[in-house]
Amino acid sequence: MIKYIIRRLLYMIPVLLGVSLIIFVLFNVVSGDPTAVLLGKNATAKQMIDLREQLGLNKSLFAQYLDVVKSAFTFDFGYSWATKQEISKMILQGALPSLCLSAPAFIISTILSLLISIFVAYYRGKGIDLFVRVFCIAGMSISALAYILFFQWFFAYKLGWFEISGFEASFPELISYIALPAIIWIVLSIGPDVRFFRTVILDEIYQDYVRTARSKGLSEIKILLQHVLRNALIPIITYVVIQIPSLILGALLLENFFSIPGLGGMTLNALNASDFPVMKAMAILSSVGYIIFGLISDILYTVADPRIKLK
Amino acid sequence: MIKSIVSFLFGIFFLFSSCSKDRSFDERELHLISPEKIAGFDPIHASDNYSANEMGKVYEGLFEFHPLKRPYELVPNLAESLPLVSDDGLTYSFKIRAGVHFHDSPAFKDGKGRELKSDDFLYSLKRLADPKLQAKGWWLLDDKIVGLNEWRNKYVAAESSNYGDEIEGLRKIDDYTFSIKLKKPYPQFLYALAMPYTFVVAKEAVEHFAKEFLNHPVGTGPFVLPVFEQTNRIVYTKNPTFREKFYPSEGEEGDDKSGLLADAGKKIPLVDKIIVDIIVESQPKWLSFQKAKADLLEIPKDNFDTAVIAGKDLSPELRSKGIRLFANPQLDVTFFAFNHDDPLFKNKKLRQAMSIAWNRDEANKLFYNKAAIEAQSVIPPGLGGYRKEFKNPYIKFDIDQAKKLLAEAGYPQGKGLPEIKIETRNETVARQLIEHFAKNLDRIGIKIKVSMNTWPELINKVTKRQHQMYTMAWGADYPDAENFLGLLYCPYSSPGSNGANYCNPDFDNLFKMATVLQDGLERNTLYEKMNEMVAVDVPWIFGFNRTKFYLSQAWVRNYKFMEFNHSQFQYLNVDLEVKKELSKKF
Repeated sequence: MIKYIIRRLLYMIPVLLGVSLIIFVLFNVVSGDPTAVLLGKNATAKQMIDLREQLGLNKSLFAQYLDVVKSAFTFDFGYSWATKQEISKMILQGALPSLCLSAPAFIISTILSLLISIFVAYYRGKGIDLFVRVFCIAGMSISALAYILFFQWFFAYKLGWFEISGFEASFPELISYIALPAIIWIVLSIGPDVRFFRTVILDEIYQDYVRTARSKGLSEIKILLQHVLRNALIPIITYVVIQIPSLILGALLLENFFSIPGLGGMTLNALNASDFPVMKAMAILSSVGYIIFGLISDILYTVADPRIKLK
Repeated sequence: MIKSIVSFLFGIFFLFSSCSKDRSFDERELHLISPEKIAGFDPIHASDNYSANEMGKVYEGLFEFHPLKRPYELVPNLAESLPLVSDDGLTYSFKIRAGVHFHDSPAFKDGKGRELKSDDFLYSLKRLADPKLQAKGWWLLDDKIVGLNEWRNKYVAAESSNYGDEIEGLRKIDDYTFSIKLKKPYPQFLYALAMPYTFVVAKEAVEHFAKEFLNHPVGTGPFVLPVFEQTNRIVYTKNPTFREKFYPSEGEEGDDKSGLLADAGKKIPLVDKIIVDIIVESQPKWLSFQKAKADLLEIPKDNFDTAVIAGKDLSPELRSKGIRLFANPQLDVTFFAFNHDDPLFKNKKLRQAMSIAWNRDEANKLFYNKAAIEAQSVIPPGLGGYRKEFKNPYIKFDIDQAKKLLAEAGYPQGKGLPEIKIETRNETVARQLIEHFAKNLDRIGIKIKVSMNTWPELINKVTKRQHQMYTMAWGADYPDAENFLGLLYCPYSSPGSNGANYCNPDFDNLFKMATVLQDGLERNTLYEKMNEMVAVDVPWIFGFNRTKFYLSQAWVRNYKFMEFNHSQFQYLNVDLEVKKELSKKF
C-alpha cells in the first residue's frame, strides 16, 4: 500500500504541471493585461508600463509559466496584486470561517442524509418513501438563493433566532452567526444526498447475498445495517470524500449573504480585481486537495471492503 | 418523544439567541456598513470611496472639507492655516500644527506615538511617488512637483528607492514648516492634500511593519485600529491621545435649526467606538438596519419602494421609528461613450441622433426611481462651470428629430448602418439599462448589441481601444469640474481616463487654459464654455447625475451628506437616551 501511496503522490507532479499550464493560459494569455484594473480609474500609461515590468508581465511567456510552476511546487504564492496582503495569510484567515460553516454543516447533512436514506430504503415503495422522494425533488427544484433570502428574513429577522449576518470566531458567539447558514447548507444538501444514497443502497438491496441473508432468517434491519450499508459504502465514500476539498473553498453565496469572511468571497474578489496570484493559489490548492482526498478515498475503500487491495 | 424533540430544538434556539450580542447603551457606538471589503490600510492605495472612508478614521491630511458648509470648503486640519503661496503661484509654504502625535505603536521607541513633524509629510509624499509601491494615487502628483518625477524615474529599475535624496520641490524649512514647489500652476493642489492618498504616515511604522504595514495603521487620526484583520468587521476605538479638535460652530444657513450645531465647540471625536460591518448583499444590509444593527444606510435599490413613498417621502413605518431620510444628489455622471477612433462615430449627426432617440425620462423612472437628474453635459450640478439655465438640445427625447438626424447622417431608417456593440459590466442593472437604450434606438432603425464583461475585461477593452461604445459612471475625486472635463481631454486618451478617445482641439485649448487658473469667474467661464461645447458635440451620450438616498437612525446626530466623507465620522454623535428609548421599537 505504501508503494501505491507514493506512486499516487508522484502522480501529483504531472497533474500540477498540467494545472499550472491551464491556469497560466487562462489568466495570463486569455484574460489580458491586469494593470489598468490594479491601478484604478486614474492610471497613467507610464504607470501601467512600470507596473507590468514590476509584476514580471514583460518576461517571456515561458519564464512566466516557470514562475507559476515554481509557486505550485513550493506553495509560495507571494503577495496579492490587489490587496498587497500575503496570500498564505489571506488563505489561513479565510479558511477558518469557511470551515466553521462548511465542516459542521457537511458532517450533519451527510449523517442526516444517510439516516434518511436507510430509513426510506427500509420502507422502500411505501408512502413514506414516496413522500421523501417528492420532498427531495421539490427541495432541489427551489433555488439556493430563495432559501437564503427566506430563511434569513424569517428566522433571523422576523423571529430573531439568529444573527442576520456577520461572523465571530469566538465560542459560543460563533453559533449564533453560523447556525442559520449551516441549516441552509443542510437543507440544500439533503435532497441530492438522499437521492444518491438511497439509489446506492437500493442497488445493493436487490443483490443475491441479501436474498441469502433473508433466507437464513436475518432481520431486515440487521441486513440493512450490517450487510447492505457496508457494501454500499464504496460509492458513498467516493461521493463524500471528494467533496471535502470544496468545503475549504467555501460556499460563495452563503458567505456573501451572511458576511462570513471565507475563501469563497476572497476568490470572487480576486477574480473581479484580476488578482492572478490569488486565483492561481486557490486553483493550485484545490487541485492538490482533490488529489489528496482522492487518495484518501482509495485508502478508505480498503477499510470498507478488505477484499480491495491497493497495488 | 415528539414533545422532547421540540423542547430540545427550542432549547438550542434559546442557546443561539443568548449568544447574540445585546445593544450597548453604555458607550457611544456608531454602527456603519461598508458594501465592499477593505484591502488594507495604506493611504496611498485608497482609490475607492469605501477604502477612503476607512483611512479617514485613522489617518489625516493637511486639509479636510468642512463637514457642514456647502459648496465644499477646504479647511486646515493638520495644517495650522491655509498655505502661503508665492506670487507666481508655484511655491506653497505649509505650517503644521504643533503637539500632534501619532497613535501609540510598537513601531516607536517606547511604544508612545511621537510628535508629527514636517519630515513626515515629505516622506509621505515621496511614498506616493515611490515606483516600488505603485500607488494608485500617483496621478495626483504626476508631473506636478519639481524634481519628483525625476526622483521616481531614477528608481524605476532599482531594487529600492532612496528616501534620503533631496528633491527640489519638497523642502523642509523647520520641524513645523515645509514648502512644495510646483512645475506649473495646479489649482486643484490643495484638494489633493485633502485626499486620503496624501494622508500622513510615520516612517517608523512603515519600516517596522514592512510588508505588514497595511495591517497596522499608525496615523494621527481620531480613531485607533491597532491591527486590521481581513474579517468582515472593523472596530475602531477613540484615540486617547487625539489633539484638541472641536466641532465647528458655524455651517450653512439652516444647520442651526436642524440641530447640526448642537455639538458646536465640543471636543471630537464624539463617539467612543465605530463598528464597520462589511455586508455585500442588499437583503442583509436592509434587515440589519431594520433591526437597528446599523445606524446609517444607503437604501438598496430593491428596498427603495418599501422605504420611500412617491419617490420622496419616508414610509410611515420607518417614520414611526424616528428614522430619517436624506436625498443626496451626487457629483457624478453616467454616460455611453463612443470610441472616436471608430470612423463611424466621426459622424456628429449620428451621435446626436442616437442621443435624442433615448427616452431618459422613462429610464429615470425605471432605474433611478425618478430621482436622478438628466445630465445636461459632463459637469454635474454643484460644481463651478455648471450653468442651471443651460439645456442640452440633444438630450430631449424626440423620435422624429432623431429619425431626421439619422437620415442627414446618411443612414435613413438605419439603412447601411452596421450593428453597434456596447460594452458594459456584467451586472443586472447595467444590462437592463443598455437593453432599454437598445429598445429605444431600435425605433429609429439602429441595432445595438450588448456585450457583458467582468470589470477587468471592460477596463481592458477600453484601455486597449478594443471597444466601439461602452457605458460607465464617473464620480468626483474632488469638487472641481476639471476632474470631469479631463475625461474628454485628448492627451488623456486611452489608456488614460479619456476612454472615448475624443479629440477636439478647441476644447483642448480651453482645458489647457483653464487648468492653470485658480478658482474664480474666469475659470468658471471657461468651464462653462467647454461644458456647453461638448453638450452639442455629443462625444458621449449623457446619462444622469444620480441621487443617493440614505437612512439614518433617530439617535444619530450631526449627519449631513458629504460627497468626500472620509473625515466626517469624527463629527457624528449618538444620543444614547434616544437610542435606549427607540430601541424598544425594533
